[in-house]
Amino acid sequence: MTSVARIFAPNERGKKINLPPYLLILPTFIFVILFTIYPTLSVFRASQEYYHPNRPNRTQMTDLNLPGVEEASRSIRGPHEVGLAYFRAMLDPSTSEGETFFQVMRNTLVYTIITVPVTMLLAFAFAVLVNRSLRWIGIARVAFFYPTMLPLVSAATIWLFFFTPDYGLWNVALRLLGYTGQENWIINRDLGLWALMIVSIWKNAGYFMIFYLAGLQSLPQDVYEAADLDGANWLTKMFRITLPLLRRTTLFVSVVAIITAFQNIDHALVLTNELVTGEADLLLYEIYKQRFVLGNYGFANALTVVMILVLLIFTLSNFFLSERGSDER
Amino acid sequence: MSDSVSVARAASTTVRLPWRRARWGIWLVNSLTIVLAVLWAVPIIWTIVVSFRPPADSLGQGDVWFSDRGVSLESYQRAVDLAPFFPHIEDGGLSRSYYGNTLEYVLMTLAVQIVTVTLAAFAFVQYQFPGKRLLFYLILTQLMIPTAILLVPNFMTISQLGLYDTTLAIAIPYFGSAFGTFLMRQAFLEVPRELVESAEIDGARWHHLLRHIYLPPTRATLVAFGMVSVSFHWNSLLWPLVVTSDKSRPLTMGLLRFTQLTDIGAQWSLIMAATMIIVAPLFIVFLIFQRQFIQSFINSGFK
Amino acid sequence: MKSRSLSLLLALFLLVIAVTGASAQDSVKVEIYFPIAVDSPITEILQGYADAYMADNPNVEVVWSFEGGYGDVKNRLLTVAEGGGELPALAIMLATDIYDLRNAEVIQPLDGYASEEYLADFTPTWLSNSYYDYDGDGTQELYGIPFQRSTVLLYYNADLLTEAGLAVPSNWEELATAAQALTTDSRQGILVPNSWPYWVFQPFVAGAGENIVSDSDVEVFFDTPAVVDALQYWVDLYNVYHATPVGVQSNWGDAPGALVDGAAAMIVHSSGSMRTILDNADFTVGVMGIPGKDGGQYTVTGGGNLYMTAGIDDATAQATWAFVEWLTQPERTVDWSIQTGYYNTRSSGFDLDAWKEYAGANPQADEARASVDFAAREFSVQSLGDVRDVFHAEILAVLNGELEPAAAMAAAQEQADQILSIFK
Repeated sequence: MTSVARIFAPNERGKKINLPPYLLILPTFIFVILFTIYPTLSVFRASQEYYHPNRPNRTQMTDLNLPGVEEASRSIRGPHEVGLAYFRAMLDPSTSEGETFFQVMRNTLVYTIITVPVTMLLAFAFAVLVNRSLRWIGIARVAFFYPTMLPLVSAATIWLFFFTPDYGLWNVALRLLGYTGQENWIINRDLGLWALMIVSIWKNAGYFMIFYLAGLQSLPQDVYEAADLDGANWLTKMFRITLPLLRRTTLFVSVVAIITAFQNIDHALVLTNELVTGEADLLLYEIYKQRFVLGNYGFANALTVVMILVLLIFTLSNFFLSERGSDER
Repeated sequence: MSDSVSVARAASTTVRLPWRRARWGIWLVNSLTIVLAVLWAVPIIWTIVVSFRPPADSLGQGDVWFSDRGVSLESYQRAVDLAPFFPHIEDGGLSRSYYGNTLEYVLMTLAVQIVTVTLAAFAFVQYQFPGKRLLFYLILTQLMIPTAILLVPNFMTISQLGLYDTTLAIAIPYFGSAFGTFLMRQAFLEVPRELVESAEIDGARWHHLLRHIYLPPTRATLVAFGMVSVSFHWNSLLWPLVVTSDKSRPLTMGLLRFTQLTDIGAQWSLIMAATMIIVAPLFIVFLIFQRQFIQSFINSGFK
Repeated sequence: MKSRSLSLLLALFLLVIAVTGASAQDSVKVEIYFPIAVDSPITEILQGYADAYMADNPNVEVVWSFEGGYGDVKNRLLTVAEGGGELPALAIMLATDIYDLRNAEVIQPLDGYASEEYLADFTPTWLSNSYYDYDGDGTQELYGIPFQRSTVLLYYNADLLTEAGLAVPSNWEELATAAQALTTDSRQGILVPNSWPYWVFQPFVAGAGENIVSDSDVEVFFDTPAVVDALQYWVDLYNVYHATPVGVQSNWGDAPGALVDGAAAMIVHSSGSMRTILDNADFTVGVMGIPGKDGGQYTVTGGGNLYMTAGIDDATAQATWAFVEWLTQPERTVDWSIQTGYYNTRSSGFDLDAWKEYAGANPQADEARASVDFAAREFSVQSLGDVRDVFHAEILAVLNGELEPAAAMAAAQEQADQILSIFK
């Protein structure tokens, strides 16, 4: 038999395959290749190219303001091969790319480190609160979950209104609580990132609640009954039974939450786009801004590479930590 | 943990409600639930209220409810006049509209995804073949590298394919779905082997197997995937922002144009009306089918 | 017989092609990107112009395509050009974006279209950001035709000044003390929207004696005493005089309303807001340039020029230019100015009866017009986005009380020099 014929070789059950499985996978595979694998590889390549189409095509002696690139007579518009210059620049805070990079990474880190745990904590609390069979509890469930159904841009628009100085409800509420600080939430460089975080937490808590709800409903009841007999109070049950049993749920939700935090930046387009100095720029937003607003192509591509690497390292380490030993059927 | 569990197992099983011990506890938990639910609901309630207020009503401190002038549809009328949310008859056909475009790319995505995802998942479950693991992992890279972050290179591809400013451009990167393939594969794995084998013995061809053995018991998962897909794509903004400029703009971009109004003095009732126009359909469907929706989201996350 | 009917058919066929081909060529579509939010009276004025033009030129279809702001229009044009979308024929974009736009090859030079006579009638100030020597051959090419142009103005509630027995401020000291005197619990003495600071800041810098830019496209002057003085003055307005809200103010859209409602006694704003303010105020509105440190009035140009897109076909380009000339005829520019508050950019327009009548009834319009003569060149250099970000960041840091003006401006100068170094 030829190698082609081997494709049609008997499957595990000893039966002849009447259609090659490759053909069935092909449609999915083509699109994954075209829009995930090819762009991933091509952006690695493109991150080594200097190109500023918004600069004039003037040739002069310059190092292009990139560390490690030699002075030479070249066009300041590009394109030029610059190797890993953008990655060197990103690690050097004295360059403008480095400064931007540090600021954006700091923002993304703060954003993730705060929104993910807070959202998860709220999600868990919501799940516990609505995991009861009361007649009105369905309404509460809807109240917590509905932000999930809104486009992030609508959520941001609603909050844009809430953040309005003076009469915006957010500021009115804060004043009632004794807050006397700045009210320009979306334009203030110290508050802009918080505005993004507030919207994100509000929108996602109900989404993650669902996973906890599913987890809670699958918990074995007899354990609680026994603990009750034992005289355990709710605090003990929460920390000794519920949370440990929901460990897998928590892990899963944290992965989803972190990836969500990385790829959802639509609210920034509404809320902090007027924040002129980039104090609230998140990684993906910065990629958009560098590429489509400032026209710094190489830097945008290098930032994309960083983002791919961060996500790959994160998901792979997660995969190996959690899925090791689980059976693959 | 293991201690308390084993102790618990050893004990007998008299049913006791967790909260019975303290009635004040129930009261506290109930009020906490209500307070949080109200807090979470305030944004949408205020949005609805403001969108129905007459635009002339000024928004001062504490003006949170309807004024004496009551309810008005004026802002909705104005929003619909200002932007092509809905199609109208033009040259014997329907004109381009935000709703039309959104529906077009959302349904296009969904239709293609259901086919690609089902076929691929079926192949991975039903057949053994060389390179199976490799192919599976290659497809799973899409889960690790979300398409959203490949904004720049995918924009280049769309441009090279000549698809710029088409609804196809918004939809096409999502035609293959690792998430859906994975989800359906997990569901198909639950289908009893005996069922599949007996059908094979009866001489069923691959499409018979898929249609009569695999799909019927997993329909709920497919529906769940469909709902997640629709709400995900309906809500997307950044990608359409980059690959459309005019005639293929979706709803979310229509809303973005309204938020730019703040530059000429915010007209909040108008902006909130535009928000409601965009949010309403999915929101109403959600309210009607909330049980199924929530169940779908649960299904899509686990299994 | 047969061949005759065949040739007849062929002739008919050719005729049909010719007719349809001709009609397709006859009707030219001129699409124009215009930066304006969806709900603005300006959209109706513009549609009126388009309708009037199309009535006289049935073979031209003028289509306005409205987009939120100047930045949105620029990004959209660049993305459409790169993505291979349908290009507009014209776009109104910031006069200051000329370098980016030309460098990216999305606009084309207009020297071949604009006659000297036509250009000579524009008030020269408006052309200060219209030329760029892209090819470096020593002659500047023309790219931007002034249309939606504005300056920074001080609007004041004249009634309040009179009531308080105050003269119209003529220098920084008087402006600050007047603002202080007019500040009450429910009223701000002065509002200076400063969340996008460079434009409203420039007149203050000019008032201290220097501009932040020269005629060069690769030079900025951020660390001069004039800049530091002006910045200190902004800080003093709230720290010393308590006449304006502390720190960064994001009230660009709300400031005109605040003046009209009496929530502010004076505001610094675009001349483009004059129409709204004059129409809605129930008091006497005073308009002037920004008082200088030691007297005089200062302002800076602003707003958008008409740019013709590169890469459109010849017939479209011809039709587009014809429309540009029509749109910038003095009759139109005066009408535009009267209806919106943007400036009439054509000198001969001021001789028209329509203008004289309007200026007679609205002396503020003439005050504003006077500011044009002393308007400084607006901040525009290569890599404008990056250089402006640097400048903004440092100004905002000062307004937020994090840095001292001198140190901040020195840092801004250093970073700007670094960015611009590769152009020199």
